[in-house]
Amino acid sequence: MTAPMLALHGLGFAYGATPVLQDLELEVAAGELVACVGPSGCGKSTLLALLGGHLRPTRGTVVRAGASRTIYQDGGLFPWLTVAANVALGVPRTVDAATRAARVGDWLAKSHLAEFADHYPHQLSGGMRQRVELGRALVAETDLLLLDEPFSALDYQTRLRMRRELAATLAARPRTVVLVTHDIEEAVQLADRIVVLGPRPASVRTVLTLPPGRPRAPTDPGVAAATQTILEELGLS
Amino acid sequence: MRPMSARPVPPVLRWVLPLAVGALLLAAWWIASATGQFPRGTVPSPEAVARGFGAEARSGRLVDDIVASLYRVGFGFVGAVLVAVPLGLVLGRFALARAAILPWVNFFRTLSPIAWIPFAIIWFGIGDPPALFIIFLATFFQITLATVGATATVPRVHYRVADDLGLRGAAVLFEVTLPAILPQLMVALRVAIGVAWMVVVAAEMIAVRSGLGFLIIDARNALRMDLVVVGMITIGAIGIALDALFAWLGRAPMMRWGSER
Repeated sequence: MTAPMLALHGLGFAYGATPVLQDLELEVAAGELVACVGPSGCGKSTLLALLGGHLRPTRGTVVRAGASRTIYQDGGLFPWLTVAANVALGVPRTVDAATRAARVGDWLAKSHLAEFADHYPHQLSGGMRQRVELGRALVAETDLLLLDEPFSALDYQTRLRMRRELAATLAARPRTVVLVTHDIEEAVQLADRIVVLGPRPASVRTVLTLPPGRPRAPTDPGVAAATQTILEELGLS
Repeated sequence: MRPMSARPVPPVLRWVLPLAVGALLLAAWWIASATGQFPRGTVPSPEAVARGFGAEARSGRLVDDIVASLYRVGFGFVGAVLVAVPLGLVLGRFALARAAILPWVNFFRTLSPIAWIPFAIIWFGIGDPPALFIIFLATFFQITLATVGATATVPRVHYRVADDLGLRGAAVLFEVTLPAILPQLMVALRVAIGVAWMVVVAAEMIAVRSGLGFLIIDARNALRMDLVVVGMITIGAIGIALDALFAWLGRAPMMRWGSER
């Protein structure tokens, strides 16, 4: 196996005297999609901030094999910029203006958002906003994506559609993804592996490896079985 | 702007109602004046004020005075914005600098700018500089404070995104913090321009020989109460115009999210 894209060793984090994460061990291989699920307030967003390098661990290490982009549940787009300008910000600054504009145009056309290029985020639906945010991350050609409850603020049908889109995008151009979610169904539909975190201070309770083929249909018997295992692990069954 | 009551006022009435109130006030003033209700020399008649307007406008003095006052407010205010906003952005981002400096910003903010007039004259003599200095002081501290306050409300997510996108240092302040606070900042600037306009009149009563403040003090010295009223009406009208200008600026597309989100 090649070197992991992302490796956590003995990772711990505390806000002052309050421990949030304890002794996390995890390696994520290139192209893998790992979902982290856990009870709300267990420190999932803190974990992602550590993985993204936005917080410094109080213990242990996070090793990333490259830059990462994080996608947030809501409010990740800059509300003062148009859709096109937000996506353009995603293109590395070293790229010249013409190439940048071409890349943004390509992406907008591919995502059926061309007619919304000059709209501001508050003028879009929640699903469109998340699609734009995903686009801003994808135009960078960054290999590591960190998704912080990216579809949680959306309605159920839009959520299902967005999961399919994400899976298709990753099939076309594989990237390494860590998805943090409280939505067990989402984790089971999309992930190659699922890390179940315990309550605060969170550590890894168990890791589930799923058979290949994503996105899995919510009605797939394998999905139901995995969901059952996670629910038991979280004491919810 | 959102209407304050549930039922919006029809657009026509927004013009008709205030004009009707103005006409009513004018009629009351005219009747009281024509029937001799005011002691002699205390309140000029509307006709005298109208004649005063005509004379001042024809001589060109009124326009000169308006230009002089707007010039002082413009330069003093823009100067204050250019220093206060960057300072506020830096104080908003750095807790130590904020702890050290913000109490002093507050201290000076509560000092009436009028209290600085003696120093303004001793330091800058007469003419425009002391007036510009007074306008600067009147707005600088409150714009700084408003910028710091707005900066504190910028969501942390914006900074994390900026970090992912490779923005660093001053680029974060000017490409993230500044646009993020712009809607709030515009509200603060709208208040500040009102204060600057109020203060320019006071400053012009002391150290200069032009401007609407000077017009009023000069008219008082000549007991021309009609011209005092000419000055007052002009100041009020321009104050409303400045406020409307800033309200309009606050509706620019890149700021609209501030009121619609």
